[in-house]
Amino acid sequence: MAQSSPSPIDADRGGRRKARTAAERSEDQTDLLGERSLELSRYFAGKVETVPKVPVRSLADFALWYTPGVAAVSRAIQADPELSFDLTGRWNTIAIVTDGSRVLGLGDIGPRAALPVMEGKALLFKFLGGVDAIPIPIQAKSPDQFIATVEALAPAFGGINLEDIASPKCFGILEELQKRLPIPVWHDDQLGTAAATVAGLLNALELTNRSIREVRTVLLGAGAANLVTARLLLTLGLPAHQLTLVDQKGILHGEREDLDELELRNPWKYRIALKTNGGGRTGDLRAALEGADVLLAASTPNPDTIRPEHVRAMAKDPIVFALANPVPEIWPDVARSAGAAVVATGRSDFPNQVNNSLIFPAVFRGVLDARARSIPDEVVLAAARELAHGAAIKGLTAHHLLPTMEEPEVFPLIAAAVGDTAVRLGIARRKLSHDEFLERATTLMGRSAKLVRALARARLTPPMPRAPGRKRRSR
Amino acid sequence: MNANTESGASAGGPGESPSVPIHLRPAREADVPALVPLLLRLKRLNEEFDPLLRVRDDADQQARQILKADIANPKAVVLAAEGVGADKDKVVGFVRALVRERPFYAPEHEGVILDIYLLPLYRRRGVGEYVLRETSNALRSKGAGVVTAEFPAQNEIASRFYTKRGFRPITAVQARSL
Repeated sequence: MAQSSPSPIDADRGGRRKARTAAERSEDQTDLLGERSLELSRYFAGKVETVPKVPVRSLADFALWYTPGVAAVSRAIQADPELSFDLTGRWNTIAIVTDGSRVLGLGDIGPRAALPVMEGKALLFKFLGGVDAIPIPIQAKSPDQFIATVEALAPAFGGINLEDIASPKCFGILEELQKRLPIPVWHDDQLGTAAATVAGLLNALELTNRSIREVRTVLLGAGAANLVTARLLLTLGLPAHQLTLVDQKGILHGEREDLDELELRNPWKYRIALKTNGGGRTGDLRAALEGADVLLAASTPNPDTIRPEHVRAMAKDPIVFALANPVPEIWPDVARSAGAAVVATGRSDFPNQVNNSLIFPAVFRGVLDARARSIPDEVVLAAARELAHGAAIKGLTAHHLLPTMEEPEVFPLIAAAVGDTAVRLGIARRKLSHDEFLERATTLMGRSAKLVRALARARLTPPMPRAPGRKRRSR
Repeated sequence: MNANTESGASAGGPGESPSVPIHLRPAREADVPALVPLLLRLKRLNEEFDPLLRVRDDADQQARQILKADIANPKAVVLAAEGVGADKDKVVGFVRALVRERPFYAPEHEGVILDIYLLPLYRRRGVGEYVLRETSNALRSKGAGVVTAEFPAQNEIASRFYTKRGFRPITAVQARSL
C-alpha cells in the first residue's frame, strides 16, 4: 500500500460496472507505466546523483574542501563526535537500506533488483522532504548480518530508513537497530503506513462523531503495517478488548492452533493475539465484523476480499479503509452502497488516499532538523495527528479525510510537529522553537523543487524523452 | 519432550500468589479427551524445530493411550491445569513426567519432564514457575533426586525457561536419518 499511483487515472466513481472498468483500466495503466519506466531508466540510467553543495572557484579550493584543510575538520570531530552533525552533511543525510526481501508486491527479489525502488524512494525523500537519501541495498545472509552492516554504516548518517524488508523479520531488525543506533531508525512499511492510516482514522472518527475509546475496530491483515497500526491505536486509547485482528486464518485469538508457532516465529503478532479480541470471538472476517464500527484492511489486493455483506454486518455508518494496492479489498462505491459512511483506499484516483508519502518526507525533515536520537511512537503519533489536522482545518467531509499530495503546505507543519515532539521528549540534539522548525522545513522542503527546475532549465538534466508512439487502445 | 510455558514466567513470583490464573491437580482418566489436543499442540510445535520430529498420523490415538497409561502409572506424574474463576473446570494445560532409574549415576532416580503445555492465554504471571515447582515436588515424593527436562534442541524458549531456573544441559541427544 506504500506506493501512490504516479498519476491519477480517470476512474469513474459511479456504478459497480464502471468501477470494474476502472480496475481494468488501472491494470492497463500499470503496464504502460511499467514500459515507460523501463525506457526512462535506460535513458537516464539512475534517478539520483551527488552534487557538490559548495563553490569551487578554482582547483585551489580543493585544499579547503579536501586535504590538507579538511584534516582540521576531522580532528574537531575526533575530539567531539557530535560535531559530525555540524561540520558535515550528516545532519541531512539518511540511508535507505533494504535486503530486497519484500519489494513492492514483487516479493523476495534481492538487493540488486530492489535498487531502482530505493533510488525512487531517494528521489521522493529529496524532492518532498529536502532529505539527502542514499539508496543502499544490502546483500545479507541473515537478519543479524543485515543489522551489523547497517550499524557499521551509521556514522555517516543522521537517520536510517528501512525499506521493503519482509515481515516478521522487519520487526526484529527495526527493534534491534533502534536499540543500537543513536539516530532515528524508521521502517516505512510499518511506521509510515501505520501513521497515515491512524491519521485517516482520527478524522473518520471525528466525522462520524465517535471516540476511539468506544469504537469496536477490526484490522484485516496482520503484517508490518497493521501490527504497528494496532500498537498505535492501543497507545491512543483504543481498549484492547475492542480490537480484533483477522488474517488469512481468520480471527487472531489466544487459543488459535498456530499460536505456539507464532510465539516462536512472530512474537509481535503473538503478543497482539493475547491482548486483543475481548469476548473471545472466533471465526472468519464476517464474525469479527459483527457490530464493528471500524474496518482497517491492509491485506491482499483483491476487490472481493471484503464483500458488501461484510460491511452490512457492521454497526451503523461504519468506517472502511481498504488499503491494499494496487487493488483495494473492496471498491469504494461498493463499500458505500453497502452502508459505509467513510471509505479510504491506498489509491490516488479515489478520494481519501492513505499514502505514506504524506508522512515519511516530513517525519524525516522533522527528526533531522531536531537531530533526534531516536523516533519513538510519540513522534509517529505527532506526525499522524498533524496530518489529520491538516485536513480538518480545511473542513472534513467523507471525501476529504486526508490532505492530498497536492496540498504540500501541510508537510512543513508535520515536520515542525515532529521536531517539537522530539524536543519535548528530550531526544533532540538541537532544540529549536516551533517557528524555527517550521521555517527551516519550509525552506528545505521547498528548495528541492527549485533545484530540479533549475537543473532542467540549465539543461543539466536532459528533458524527458518523448514516449515512442503508444498504441491507441480501441476500447 | 518439550516445555512451553513462557520465558517471562519469572516475573510473577511465588506460585501460590493469587495472580496465577491456573490451578494444578492430578489428572484423572476423565481428563484424557481434554488433554489429547493439548499434547498434540505441543508435538505439532515440535515439528517446527526438526523434520525428524514430524508428527505421526496416528499421534492422537497414541496420545490417548499414553496419557491413560501414565495417569494410572505410579511412576508417572500427570497434572492437569485448570483455569480459575470463570475458567474453572476448563483444562488449560498439563504436565507429564516420569520417574526413571539411573543405573550408573547418583542420585539413582530422576524425574523426567516429558511434556509441559499451557494454552498461551494462561502463561506468564508466574505460571511456569508454579508448574515447575509443583511437578518437582510430585517427582520428589516419588523418589526422584534430580529433575530433568526433555525438549527439542532448537527450542530456545524452553531452553531459556529452564536455564533461568537453574537447569543446565547434562546429556545431549543427536540424530540423523537412516
